[in-house]
Amino acid sequence: MKKRYAFVLLIYCIGFIASLWGYHQKPLIITDKGRLLPTKIKAIHAADDSADLQQWIKKVAVNHEKISIAGMQHSQGGHTLYPGGIMLDMRDYDEIIAYHPKEKMITVQSGATWADIQKEINPDGLAVRVMQSQNIFTVGGSISVNAHGRDIRYGSLMSTVKSFRLLTADGEILNVSRTENNDLFPLVLGGYGLFGIILDVTLELTDDELYQIRFKEMDYEDYPDYFRHKVKQNPKARMHIARISVAPESFLQEMYVKDYVLADNQKLRPEYSDLDREWFVAAPKFFLGLSRYSEWGKDLLWNWQKRYFQYQDDNYITRNNVMRSDSKFLEYHNPNRTETLQEYYVPVDEFVSYIDDLRDLLEEEDLNLLNITVRYVGYDEEEPVLTYTHGEDMFALVLLMNQELGNKATKQTTEVVRKMIDLTLAHGGSYYLPYYSYPSQQQFEKAYPRNDVFFKKKRRYDPHEVFMNLFYKEYGP
Amino acid sequence: MIYRRFVTAQSIIMAAGSIVFPFYLLLIKNLGESYSQFGWAYGLFTLTAALVYPFIGRVGDSIGDKKLLLIYTWSMAGLMLVIPLVTDVWQIYMVQIVMGLLGAVQKNTEKTFLARDAEKETAGRKIGSYHLKVSLWSAAGIIATGYLVDFLTIASLFYMTSILYMMASFVIWRKQGAV
Repeated sequence: MKKRYAFVLLIYCIGFIASLWGYHQKPLIITDKGRLLPTKIKAIHAADDSADLQQWIKKVAVNHEKISIAGMQHSQGGHTLYPGGIMLDMRDYDEIIAYHPKEKMITVQSGATWADIQKEINPDGLAVRVMQSQNIFTVGGSISVNAHGRDIRYGSLMSTVKSFRLLTADGEILNVSRTENNDLFPLVLGGYGLFGIILDVTLELTDDELYQIRFKEMDYEDYPDYFRHKVKQNPKARMHIARISVAPESFLQEMYVKDYVLADNQKLRPEYSDLDREWFVAAPKFFLGLSRYSEWGKDLLWNWQKRYFQYQDDNYITRNNVMRSDSKFLEYHNPNRTETLQEYYVPVDEFVSYIDDLRDLLEEEDLNLLNITVRYVGYDEEEPVLTYTHGEDMFALVLLMNQELGNKATKQTTEVVRKMIDLTLAHGGSYYLPYYSYPSQQQFEKAYPRNDVFFKKKRRYDPHEVFMNLFYKEYGP
Repeated sequence: MIYRRFVTAQSIIMAAGSIVFPFYLLLIKNLGESYSQFGWAYGLFTLTAALVYPFIGRVGDSIGDKKLLLIYTWSMAGLMLVIPLVTDVWQIYMVQIVMGLLGAVQKNTEKTFLARDAEKETAGRKIGSYHLKVSLWSAAGIIATGYLVDFLTIASLFYMTSILYMMASFVIWRKQGAV
């Protein structure tokens, strides 16, 4: 009898594994993390070697195929998708090619994630200069959206990119830097994969440092002054993030900030330099879950979160660990609903009046807003063609929204988002492009006045429009 | 198979069924492009069940309820492994036919077992209490799903359910006398 049990179990296990395997093979309607744009694509091509890619792209161009380029696909506006196109999956193209700790320089293939880089450089006491708050993204994807994060000293990711190699639509490999093919540099940075395949990237690194967390609660009206005087003017403050309440009790009033201030005794760093693993998923996921359903859940989440971060006040943390913030608890798989992001940039001086207007607007609207984080992006003279900073120091507000899937709900969200963007633009602000195409064409053109240059150059470098995506389809000429 | 074990197995089966049911419906809805396809998928399920009932009844009489229930749980466990792989409407139709067949096995066997087991005088009470237990588990499954979905992927719900069916099969299979 036991033998029979074992036999049945064995058969079952084989079936189970086969099913899992099959499930992971299953394409071909692909959607990005926003899940609002399921797109039937022709095939997925996995990149592995630059010489192979070069051959491949020549063949593809001859056959008039369209290519969309994908990393982790956390963009939400179909930037990695094109109907009937071939999706180039860069995730396996992830080797570290050259690493010079003394020069603080690393060259990686574009499918490498920030996590891969952190693993390599952390033992040498080095850290990334600028990246998102989470480390799950590929370097190529981050360049294509010109990401920014909690760092307040370096500007956007662009400032830390030394050079990269670009595989163009005609199969040529170009070195691109500030001195070589420099026309392409501000086009590919924040170029949403429309100019070619970023092959390998050389990034400038910085020292890993030990920070002490400084937590502070405050009213939104005090925030800009606090930031200017206590953060920006304090050379020891290196990184910063804030949250503004979306809980009904304190809606767009209460804030708390977390500053990362250089610790007095840097010799302690090795004690804290082990890379953190995300082990604390259940509780935030639970509270976030409650806040999706109810107003009291939102109050509960806000208060819990505040207490949780308050508890970290004065704690020590290394730069590398600040840059690998939790993300698993944010994953969301409800078949009927999705969570989308918006990011608005507001000049520092406009912040208070902007929040007042935003509160007035949102109190009238029906939007399931779950979270707003606030970051800072300093103006940098060197800007991508599609820049979001417009020559000013900006606060960046990232909004997490929950909505139903389907046209009706998306239309509703679109209406609210367009109102929010009008308001942002009226305050001299802008919005971020990697998200769903809620914004109107007019709003896009106003927020990105150089879009005509961008698209003109796109067609010059890629006259047959080999590199395509839904973003280009939506807003391109 | 003793009565207590039968109830345990049925409870697991009911809970498992309730967990995947909404997602299964959603899968049919998403894959189909129109309500008529949805209707066909559902119609096939019911139609198959209707046609196989007489046959299943006879098989149950000759090979016993236990074996039939074993076949049912194993097949369901297997089917739950197939569902995450489905991409086209025709595959859903096939799955629906098999589901119809298996659903009929489950329903018929549940009743025949109860009928064979119960004393005529107390049958009402016994079957009433049986339904209470089983329905409670079914309710638990349904309610849990509403929340589980925020925390698990849909495919993993199907895989989890498959494991539940396997567990039910082992509950049924354990030695100690047949029905």
